[in-house]
Amino acid sequence: MHPLARYLLTRLGIGVVLAFGITLVTFTLANLVPGDPVQAALGEQASANPAIVQQFREDMGLDKPLPVQYVTYLGNLLQGDFGVSVQTRTPVALELQRAFPATAELATAAILLSILVGIGLGLMAALRRGKTVDHVIRLVSLLGISAPTFWLALVAYYVVFYQLRLLPGSGRLSPGAVPPPNVTGFYTIDSVLAGQWATFGDALSHLILPGTVLALSTIGLLTRFARSSVLDVLSLDYVRAARAKGLPSSAVTLRYVLRGALVPIITVLGIAFGSLLSGAVLTEKVFAWHGIGEYAYNGATRLDLPAVMGVGLVVGITYILINLAVDVLYGFLDPRVRRA
Amino acid sequence: MRHHFLGRAVTAGVAALALLALAGCAPAGDQPDKKEGASLVVDMSFDVKTLDPGRSFERTGTLVNHVLYETLLTFNGDDVSKPVDGLASYVLSDEDKVMTLTMKDGGAFSDGSPITVDDAVFSLQRVQGIAGNPSFLLDGVTIAKTSDTTLTLTSETPNPTLAYLLPNPSLGIINSKLLTENGGSVDSDDASESFLNGTSAGSGPYILESYDATSQIVLAANPEYRGDQPAYSRIVVRNVIGETQKLNVQAGESQVAIDLNPDQVAELSADELNIKSAPSRYTIYMMLNQDPSISTITSNPDFSTAVKSALDYDKILALAGKGAERPGGVVPSMFVGTLPTERGNQFDLAAAKESLKASGYAGEEVVLHYANDVTVSGIALQPLAETVQSQLKDVGINVTLAAAPEATELDNYRAGKEEMGIWSWGADYPDPQNYIAFAPGENLGKRAGWLAGDAERVERLRAAAQAASFDDRGAAYEELQVALNEDGPFIALFQPVGNIVTAKSITGFTSNSVWTIDLASIE
Repeated sequence: MHPLARYLLTRLGIGVVLAFGITLVTFTLANLVPGDPVQAALGEQASANPAIVQQFREDMGLDKPLPVQYVTYLGNLLQGDFGVSVQTRTPVALELQRAFPATAELATAAILLSILVGIGLGLMAALRRGKTVDHVIRLVSLLGISAPTFWLALVAYYVVFYQLRLLPGSGRLSPGAVPPPNVTGFYTIDSVLAGQWATFGDALSHLILPGTVLALSTIGLLTRFARSSVLDVLSLDYVRAARAKGLPSSAVTLRYVLRGALVPIITVLGIAFGSLLSGAVLTEKVFAWHGIGEYAYNGATRLDLPAVMGVGLVVGITYILINLAVDVLYGFLDPRVRRA
Repeated sequence: MRHHFLGRAVTAGVAALALLALAGCAPAGDQPDKKEGASLVVDMSFDVKTLDPGRSFERTGTLVNHVLYETLLTFNGDDVSKPVDGLASYVLSDEDKVMTLTMKDGGAFSDGSPITVDDAVFSLQRVQGIAGNPSFLLDGVTIAKTSDTTLTLTSETPNPTLAYLLPNPSLGIINSKLLTENGGSVDSDDASESFLNGTSAGSGPYILESYDATSQIVLAANPEYRGDQPAYSRIVVRNVIGETQKLNVQAGESQVAIDLNPDQVAELSADELNIKSAPSRYTIYMMLNQDPSISTITSNPDFSTAVKSALDYDKILALAGKGAERPGGVVPSMFVGTLPTERGNQFDLAAAKESLKASGYAGEEVVLHYANDVTVSGIALQPLAETVQSQLKDVGINVTLAAAPEATELDNYRAGKEEMGIWSWGADYPDPQNYIAFAPGENLGKRAGWLAGDAERVERLRAAAQAASFDDRGAAYEELQVALNEDGPFIALFQPVGNIVTAKSITGFTSNSVWTIDLASIE
């Protein structure tokens, strides 16, 4: 077997074990939370009626002992059944299918913008170390990291949408617009696949503002990592040798400096992407984006345990896959990792 | 060379970003506000769990279901003091036990099929049989078809409030044939909820176009509706937080905002927007547990009296912002039987200190519980709890605040384990009967450790209020509340204001405490 294939299979195997661990941890934690999900789901009058409470408990399988509930949950999970939301009585898998692509599209836009701007600024700051540009970039990146996302989102919404009227406001599409046929769940991609260019423009215009807000802290982080990583590489012998050979500046920067600096940056990127996927709740709230962050928040505050466990599992698996992708990228970027 | 490369890279990056922005740029604020054939955009904070009328009892679901399903009786516009004919007319027997409803001719569901008495019987029996959140509305009621045009609702005990319950959208009339074909039944085997979340089966002015419990609900005008066609052919109800709602309605992206709190409304200009403020259906109250096993302090009648006198109600009301009211008791100001403010508890520091002395209280800590993750009509409970703590400190009562998320605190409260608590009660229907829940041995009474037999005077007045004739009910419920104030564990604090803000292009609408706003009335 090819070493890369063996490596991938091993990592996937570990991933399956980790996913099982995630189900156990989320199930245990979800059930340790004080409060009764049935009381949280039923109204004032219904919760006072023991017959209704009992029927609801039975319908949701909450009358069974916890180990039985867990085994049932695992068995259903193997068939792709994430359970039913205690609040909406809708299959959690269906709700995740709607919420996860919304956040994934937002996070992907944010990470692409972060890569473009963050690495660019980091590179520029490193190449002009100690000069005014470097100081300005470092200050701006610090502001990006420190500014609270919720505040940034509200300010951006107020200035760009309300005052300047440059971009549209709430949601993923204009009010009442019909989403494109669902293929990936990304409205931008699905509208292109369907040839719906007006919908594509609408989806893209709605993506820019929340995507930028979400990207700002990642841009700050990436800028600082990229700067420090590039500075480390600039002083290495092979870069000096490349310059001594008379290679053009752009070739040295792209083929030697940037490539050498990318390994630690990729690590940060992987972590940042995972954080964007699971931590966009505040941005989602302001922009009425209704992604997985908001879904997780609502699930947690309403004691909707199947929803919370579903989110935990999806986010956990996403982290596992991102880490796998990062490890594979290491191999492409650094021959020493490949040989090892 | 290096600088040239960097310069080109930065220029290219900026150009790419600019192109991206231009490609997707669409001017905001130019959404249509014309009415003929136009869409109306309504922003609100969703609490919807389902659009199955037999299961829905949340505010968003009620608002939407009101225009999807007609009811046997209804309310005329803002007036909830008198039920009027809907799909049927009614007669109540002398002893208020039997209501006979006669179906009107000419009604049709959105698929064109006629509305029959069988549909009415099926719909109401289904609410009872599936035992969802609204099933309590028909507790103790037997529903029977008595002819091809009439049905009777027979109550075990006199039930003068039944006419006030029937306009509730949860009791909307469903196309029984269509629902039965899609898993519907009148018992717990019913499996039609998912169908009703995708397709409406009613006869209201709108039909359901799409439903997403987290983002938006889209309604389209029902061409089969027998009444006047609504002004807007399509309505998009979106799930948006209050702060964003404010900017959206100011910018013209939405035409109606429903959840603005008093502070947000105060920032709006009446020259640019229409602002309609009215008392909400909520009562915010404080509870002192009467169960000595939970607290020997709060169950002491003198301590309870001291707390009631120690609160400066006007200062507390000021926290609720402009438009909030303070009825004298738990019944809100727009309902029959509301108690005038001057007959309610009054702030009296000297009396409070005297009662506290009589109670033997010696400075022990008492714990005040509340939910810190919810607002009631935009009012957060945290500053309210802090104010109560501060005011009670002035008479020498040491209060420890215990905040928790509602989902966990609710369990504690419903189990009757809180020593003191701040909660809200929203009327399920516009009648003072709804507030019997505060009586000893009833739903809320039990949570406060106040059981049947604990308060003879209150129970006597409660029986009198429930037995009172239509004309005498108001006075009877007022007397009951006076007794509740004096002898009970509940302290009504205030009634928050509800705000509906619309664009200037909206020239009229009706709203009330049952379905918040009548979407079909928006012009």
